[in-house]
Formats: sequence, structure tokens, C-alpha cells
Amino acid sequence: MSDVVERTLSALPGLLGQHDPGAGPGGAGGPGRVSASSRLGSLIRSITALTSKHEEEKLIQQELTSLKATVSAPTTTLRLMKECMVRLIYCEMLGYESSFGYIHAIKLAQQGNLLEKRVGYLAVSLFLHENHELLLLLVNTVVKDLQSTNLVEVCMALTVVSQIFPREMIPAVLPLIEDKLQHSKEIIRRKAVQALYKFYLIAPNQVQHIHDKFRKALCDRDAGVMAASLHIYLQMIKENSSGYKDLTGSFVTILKQVVGGKLSADFNYHSVPAPWLQIQLLRILGLLGKDDPRTSELMYDVLDESLRRAEINHNITYAILFECVQTIYTIYPKSELLEKAAKCIGKFVLSPKINLKYLGLKALTYVIQQDPNLALQHQMTIIECLDHPDPIIKRETLELLYRITNGQNVTVIVQKMLDYLKESQEEYAIISLVGKIAELAEKYPFIFLN
Amino acid sequence: LFETLRLRLTLFFFPLLPIQQMQFMLLFSRQGKLRLQKWYVPLSDKEKKKITRELVQTVLARKPKMCSFLEWRDLKIVYKRYASLYFCCAIEDQDNELITLEIIHRYVELLDKYFGSVCELDIIFNFEKAYFILDEFLLGGEVQETSKKNVLKAIEQADLLQEVSKSNFSGRSVSMVVVTQKLHVPLSF
Repeated sequence: MSDVVERTLSALPGLLGQHDPGAGPGGAGGPGRVSASSRLGSLIRSITALTSKHEEEKLIQQELTSLKATVSAPTTTLRLMKECMVRLIYCEMLGYESSFGYIHAIKLAQQGNLLEKRVGYLAVSLFLHENHELLLLLVNTVVKDLQSTNLVEVCMALTVVSQIFPREMIPAVLPLIEDKLQHSKEIIRRKAVQALYKFYLIAPNQVQHIHDKFRKALCDRDAGVMAASLHIYLQMIKENSSGYKDLTGSFVTILKQVVGGKLSADFNYHSVPAPWLQIQLLRILGLLGKDDPRTSELMYDVLDESLRRAEINHNITYAILFECVQTIYTIYPKSELLEKAAKCIGKFVLSPKINLKYLGLKALTYVIQQDPNLALQHQMTIIECLDHPDPIIKRETLELLYRITNGQNVTVIVQKMLDYLKESQEEYAIISLVGKIAELAEKYPFIFLN
Repeated sequence: LFETLRLRLTLFFFPLLPIQQMQFMLLFSRQGKLRLQKWYVPLSDKEKKKITRELVQTVLARKPKMCSFLEWRDLKIVYKRYASLYFCCAIEDQDNELITLEIIHRYVELLDKYFGSVCELDIIFNFEKAYFILDEFLLGGEVQETSKKNVLKAIEQADLLQEVSKSNFSGRSVSMVVVTQKLHVPLSF
């Protein structure tokens, strides 16, 4: 047996020794921890002790039969139902279908108290899919919970709506959710925005009329709510950037404030202020500034500042830098910014850290059309990467080289591609590479004359 | 090849797949046992099983010094191992892998804060709590930029209610000491 399993099993007696028999099954400890002697615990323990898949199947089928009886019995308490539901989720995770439990998940969400409801909603979000016929039954519960005076219930309802909701029933909940956009608690406002984003994705015409409410969310005093609205804006701008050029100034201002540290320190992640918010904004600006000199003009300053600020040595900083570089290359070009961005890419490519090297190669592939000299500058490093032990780095390098093939280097490059094909076993990679070689063969037919 | 095309077609028929969205997140042990699965795109059970099986094999075959990203079918896979647990996310090909790596790290930090020095056992025995935390932080597959307190506040509120009801029942609290390999949560790379 592996050492991990051994360690798990050797720890279990320690857990059992701590369990207080008077506390009943699932005694609480710490932040609501489940003890190993609960029914779930013993199921997991039993599975771990088995050595063959066949035995596991037998055990799980036994468990499922017992669970089926329990959930169908009229005397089963909601508390027990919640516990059964967790075991059902576990069985499905192991790959055993337990659809008899789905309807009970919905019932649990409907009838349970706070904790039971939470598990019911979780089970529904994991078991069902968008077009499942049982999903309609969830709507009444959601409607009820959205109107609850208990804010935790409202949150749960909004959370489940953001994950899974039947398209035809959107009108039933839309007004309730719109209402929540003005709630005093920011967590409710934020989840309402996220729910509307979900609606926008599955039925955009149903939320056409509330675009002005998105604008309000964008100006929300809480940065989290504002950040949530950016998901919607990013999507809408992707589809129609010209309709939102007037908002460029606002996005630039927000980014300036975030980068300048105007948000509360609460939003910091490893000393970087609201990094995901920054990245969303950078993407939005990229879309707005593309092929548009006037709009791009508005953002040069803040992009410059973002490049400067991102000095801290942490992955998230590099992530922001990468986005920044991409944005600079997407919008209408400005030479000073391009120079700085090119330097950045150079640092990535030369970095000893393998993840950054990968990103550097990726960035080079992206900018190669606009700046072929950059690849020439780093030729040596690129050639070294061709022989890198990591096949992913090799592949990314080949991707890059494919874009800079010309009459002189095509033979060498195709040879390297063929070498890679010999080693690779991944179907998708092979297909993609073969396609590229075929393309190059068409373009430079003389490579087969040797 | 046929399976690849089918995966693409499924994604094509999804009404409006947002750009740069996470497709799914899987947590699995070094033996390939699934500990958590969250799917943000509609796929049949059969497809999910197939993807899980193949992906787990592919990730487990990676050597330690290799980069944390790999290309698999037409997706980008970002993965990181914390002690005995692999965290694995699938994103669109053009997306920024480093951000996803940080999303994983942020999630681990949240788990760590909630459980207090989290380890694999915590996630195994309390996986529904791990789901609750994930859903607060990655609502519908989108990162929620929130103040640090908010993500865990929502979970802890409901937990407090459980403490109250349990202590009424037993009159005593039980502490649990888990003596196993802890998840190493590095503060910087």
C-alpha cells in the first residue's frame, strides 16, 4: 500500500480516540470539521482499505442500495438526508451514478434548515445540468429564498442561480434579482451581479433592458461589486466594442486608482492591489483600444504606470505584466510603450524560472507579427529552448518558429518538427504539428528535395 | 480525433461561452483518486469520466522540474501539487496561465485559512466544505475579487449556527488533531 494511504490509515485511530461518544455522529471540532467516525468517514475509511476496483464496486453498490432505501423512506429526517446527500456526492465523484438521489437533493434545498439547504443546493449544482428536467423544480425554492429575510438564504439562492438555472424560467426570478442590486449588503449586490452575468450568457436578450443597472454596478462603492460587473462588460465589449468606447475614461480611472493603491488593503493579494480586477481592466482596455488611435491615447499613461508598478517578485505580478504587455501590443501602437513591453518579454524569456520562460515564448508568439526583430534578438535562447527537457517548452518554441519561417530557415525548422513528432505520443499535438508541416511544405516545396 | 471534435462541438453549442473562462477544476491524490470535481461547462457524464481519467494520467506523468502548464487537446491545463494533492484547472488556449496558477494558490490559501493548516485529510473528510469555499471564490467559474474577509465570512456564518446547535446538543466541543503530512503553502515562489 502506498505511503500516503498508510499515513492516512495510521492517523485515523488518532482521530477516533478524540471522538467524544456523547456528541453523536459527526461531532463538531474546529471550524465544523467532520470526525472520521461519521457515516461518511467510515465509508471513506472502508474504501481506502480495499485493494481492488471490483471490491470498491461491490461496496459502493451496497452503499447506494442502503442510501436509496434511506432517502425514499418517509421517516428519514432532514438531518439524515443531508448526511446521505454528502455520501451520494462522494459516490458520484468516484464515478457511480446515483440519479435516484437527485429529486431528494431538490427537496433538501426546499425544506431544509440553513445547513441542510446549503448541502441541498450544492448537490443540485453538482448533480444536475442546464437542461435537466428536474431543474425546473428548483425554481420555486430559489424564488422563496430570494425573498427570505435571512440573508444567508438569499446568498445561497443567488449562488446557485449563478451556477445553474433553466433559461425559460429567467423571467420568474429576474425582477427579484434586479431588486437585489440595490441591497445594502455588498455581498448580495455582488452575487446579484454575478447571477445577471449568468443570465446574460445563457439568454442575452432577456437582460437587454437592464444595461443601465450594470452601469450602476460599475460605479458601486464596493470594489467587489464593481469587479463583478466587469465580467459582464468584458463579454459585452468583446461582442461590440464600439458601443462602449465612451466608458474608456471610466475604466482608465478605475485602473489608475487600483494601481495607485487607493483601494483598502483588504483587497491586496500578496501586496498587490486587487490583481484580478487589474487584469479584467487590462483586457477590457485592450479590446477598446484595438485599431483605435483616439481611444488608445487615453490609456497610454495608465499602461505605463502598470508596467512600472509591477515590480514585486511574485507570480501574480508577472501575470499582470503579461496582460499589460498583451494589451500594449493589441491597442494602437505607441513606440515607447512597445519598447518597454519588449524589454519585459525579454526578461520573461531569459528567466531561469520555467513558468516565466514559457510565458515569454508565448508572448513572443503573440507579438511576432508586429515585431519580428524581437525574436531575432532572442534567437540564442529560442534555439536553446528547442532542446529543453520539458516537451511543453519545446512545443511552444516550435509554435513560435513556425511563425517566423522563411526560405532560409524552413528546412531546419521542419526537421526539428519532425524530430518532435517522433517523440510525441499525444494525438492532438501530432495532428496540429502535421498540419503545420503540410502547410510549410506547400509554401516551400523545395524542402523535400533534400 | 473524433472525441476531440465532439468536445469542441459540445462547447460550440453552449449558448455563449465567455472568453477566458475556467472550464473545470479537479483535485486528485498522487494515486489518481479524485477528491473534488467542479465543471463549469456542460459535458455528459461519460465525457467527464474520460477527461478525468486521461488528464489524471497525463498530469501524474509530469516530472517535478517541468513547467506547470501543459497543452491537452485544445485546452490549456494548469496544475500544481501541494503535498499529496494535485490541483488541476483547464482554461482556454489563449488564456493567461499564470493567473490560473494564482487562482489555485488563492484557493489553497483560503482552504488553509478555513481549516487552519489544511492537509489532504481535511479535504477528503470535509469535501463539501471545500466546495462551499470554491463556490464563494470562483462563482460560476469567475474569480470574485473581494476583500479577504468576505469569502470565508459567508461560510463561517453558517458554521457558527452549527456550533451553536451542536453545543446545545452535547454541551462540549471536540477538538480534532490530525497528524499527517500537511499541505505546504509557500508564501512566494
